[in-house]
Amino acid sequence: MKKKVRIIPGFGLSMGVTLSLLSLIVLIPLASLVVFTAKMSPSEIWHVITRKRVLASFEVSLLTALIASLINAVMGVVLAWVLVRYDFPLKRLLDGMIELPFALPTAVAGISLTSLYADTGTVGKIFAKFGIKIAYTRIGITIALIFIGIPFVVRSVQPVLEKLDPLYEEAAGMLGASRVQTFRKVILPELRPAIFTGFGLAFGRCLGEYGSVVFIAGNQPFKTEITPLIIMAELQEYDYSSATAIALVMLAVAFLILFLVNLIQIHNSKILNGGH
Amino acid sequence: MAKETQSQTVGAKPSPVVKWLLIGLSVLFLFVMLVLPLITVIQEALRKGFAAYREAISDPDAFSALNLTLEATVFAVVINTVFGLFAAWAVTKFRFHGKKLLVTLIDLPVTVSPIIAGLIYVLTFGRQSAIYPFLEEHDLRVVYAVPGIILATVFVTFPFISRELLPVLEAQGTDEEEAAAMMGAKGFTIFRKITLPHIRWALLYGIVLCTARAMGEFGAVSVLSGHLRGQTVTLPLQVEILFGDNKYMPAFAVSSILVILAVVILIVRSIVEYIGKEKK
Amino acid sequence: MYIELKNINKSYGSFKASDDVSFGIEKGKLFALLGPSGSGKTTILRMIAGLEKPDSGEILIDGKVVNDIPASRRGIGFVFQSYALFRYMTVYDNIAFGLKVKKVKKQEIDARVKELVKLIGLEGFEKRYPSQLSGGQRQRVAFARALAPNPQVLLLDEPFAAIDAKVRQELRSWLKEMIQKLGVTSIFVTHDQDEAIEVADEIIVTNRGRIEQTGTPIDIYQNPATAFTAGFFGVTSELEDYKAFRSFEEVEEYDRAIIRPEFVKITKKDEVQKYKTSAVEGTVERTAFRGNCIEFTVRCNGSILTARRELDEPRVEVGETVDVFIYRIFITHGDEVRLLPNNAIREESVVI
Repeated sequence: MKKKVRIIPGFGLSMGVTLSLLSLIVLIPLASLVVFTAKMSPSEIWHVITRKRVLASFEVSLLTALIASLINAVMGVVLAWVLVRYDFPLKRLLDGMIELPFALPTAVAGISLTSLYADTGTVGKIFAKFGIKIAYTRIGITIALIFIGIPFVVRSVQPVLEKLDPLYEEAAGMLGASRVQTFRKVILPELRPAIFTGFGLAFGRCLGEYGSVVFIAGNQPFKTEITPLIIMAELQEYDYSSATAIALVMLAVAFLILFLVNLIQIHNSKILNGGH
Repeated sequence: MAKETQSQTVGAKPSPVVKWLLIGLSVLFLFVMLVLPLITVIQEALRKGFAAYREAISDPDAFSALNLTLEATVFAVVINTVFGLFAAWAVTKFRFHGKKLLVTLIDLPVTVSPIIAGLIYVLTFGRQSAIYPFLEEHDLRVVYAVPGIILATVFVTFPFISRELLPVLEAQGTDEEEAAAMMGAKGFTIFRKITLPHIRWALLYGIVLCTARAMGEFGAVSVLSGHLRGQTVTLPLQVEILFGDNKYMPAFAVSSILVILAVVILIVRSIVEYIGKEKK
Repeated sequence: MYIELKNINKSYGSFKASDDVSFGIEKGKLFALLGPSGSGKTTILRMIAGLEKPDSGEILIDGKVVNDIPASRRGIGFVFQSYALFRYMTVYDNIAFGLKVKKVKKQEIDARVKELVKLIGLEGFEKRYPSQLSGGQRQRVAFARALAPNPQVLLLDEPFAAIDAKVRQELRSWLKEMIQKLGVTSIFVTHDQDEAIEVADEIIVTNRGRIEQTGTPIDIYQNPATAFTAGFFGVTSELEDYKAFRSFEEVEEYDRAIIRPEFVKITKKDEVQKYKTSAVEGTVERTAFRGNCIEFTVRCNGSILTARRELDEPRVEVGETVDVFIYRIFITHGDEVRLLPNNAIREESVVI
């Protein structure tokens, strides 16, 4: 191979610092997970992750994360639409607020949501009248996860909507489409990749979320126990093997989501940038 | 202007009903999901009056928790800024094999559950680790000690700054740096005079995000903390401990500090973003 | 008149995009709205389409006032400058869109799309996305998409602007042929005089929000009605003092004296020439090869003017002194324009 000429200085230094820090903080610790896994037999891992309580936690985590992310996908599009297309008082405030779930410590969100949605809380009281319990049920978990996931879809759809050329809507209008038809057939396809990306990121985050959920979940085995909580419990009992085995499943799901998001983006850029 | 006229005339008339319905829905959603929890924190914190509030937040445990939180945050911001600058420089100014892989690896920590982040450090430095005897010999404690908390905080915020810098530097290209290098400028001069002005706002933005996340990290820190009061407890952990002890009012009082910090961060974020956009 | 604009006014803030615009368009004709950028031509097109609302005045299509009819119900096909093809739809879906939203039956849509795909010569491309087409192909798809719902009027906004020069020529004749074949009343916007002259049946010249002149290309070219039109067509030069050129009638008050290259004849000193007595001397300052001719910049009586010679005529070099004869001059005064023929010429009909 030809030796590359590098005019800009600092390749060795910057690469060196990057790789050392990356190795120290991320790669070596992750490698220890691999090393530890290698000490376990596949049947051992299988045994751990198919325990009824663990399986139930997968169900709780997946189901609540899915519902929360779906709600956020819909609300994310609505919020992005409202923030980009309409003018109204206090719009900037609303816009700035979206990132609150990123800025507010999850534990604070957790205890606050718990006291709000408990049977005695401001909101929980209203639902309690109709016999609906929110805190310490799966609904409570879902609410905490909605809170956590709000910014993802909004922030991925918003810039796309801002950049969307009004010509497409004009073209659809000239061809006789109503506003609803224009939205469904022309605008939504333009937003779809961003929605999927935001949804994927929110879903991944929700699956791994711990802080905001533990307080409101109630943590009843088989009912409201999420997977990260099981890992936590195993760690407290120094059962590192079980913790690792369950963590592997979670990592696999997280990577799968990442992979799917990438796949959508590749497919999308194929449509937009040509190629067959 | 164009957008306004277009929405007036294309297709059927846009109905103001739909507009206000959507705005109403958005406001309601954000109010219930975001504003109410904030109000609740403040309300609960002040439930027993201002004197009780002041007493709760001047508790020595709360104070040491605040110290530890700030310490971990400073470490995270400094390490990740250094990393972010070097990594962004390496990735955007040079061409090499495996660049995509490197970027993916850098982003890895945000896709990993905080609990798993804690777990991998326990596996690396904990009792069953191969290097544990060595650590023991030198009296180095990572797990259930301050270094573990700092490491966990650095891990979960690892890509926060490089992520903000990469797209900006990517878009800027390498022409200016190459021109400067041809004229004989040294590496640091090129960075300071050419590159830094481009990324100033992105860097600041990244630091703000990193600070926010570092301050609030709970899951990973929780795994590594061991919850030794006054020693390995950060503010969010202090909140958890108080809440678990049914000391609700103090829990919310401590939370209120974090809420104020979060709101300040949001305001700074908005300002930085606004100025950054203006500069463009 | 099939399309009629009556006293249309439109302002954007203090900018007057349309200033009392009135004109009519006959059914089945291909019209060009021609003018420099900022002259208000696109605004006129967008108002006819319903994409903009006039501040005052009436727009009539087929005798009906359409001011309050939304764009989607005016039955107008519109080809956008950058085509605005839906990026996430295939060629087929793009063309079918206007029919689908009207809930036309599937078989009918299919038949119509197939017919149009054949018309634009893109069979086999139905499943492609816009990004997988060349500029010219995209233009054709945009054309087919606009035509699919069978519009009575077709509007095209700078239809050739985004296409490279080579394909543009080909597409111009193709579009003209298509529109003639289909007989749909069409208006296209352009800033390119050659394009307007070549493609349109009639040209509407716009300037500063007003209509300067309407007429057939040859009419507008030969008999400009306003000072602006006289200066807009062709490669014009301006004479500092036209009276320094021989045998022209002397006009007392005038603003500008405008000539086009075809008004000028330059002759080498050793060549035979018809109007030697009326010619003046000039010096060649620059020559430029233009493909089918050679263009000269000649300094003459203090004016810089442009002239052309055929390729097979004897070479004229830079710095050479030549005889310059001017056949005729446009003399403007205010908005008015007057054609002054050189009195040395007896016969009036000179072919340009």
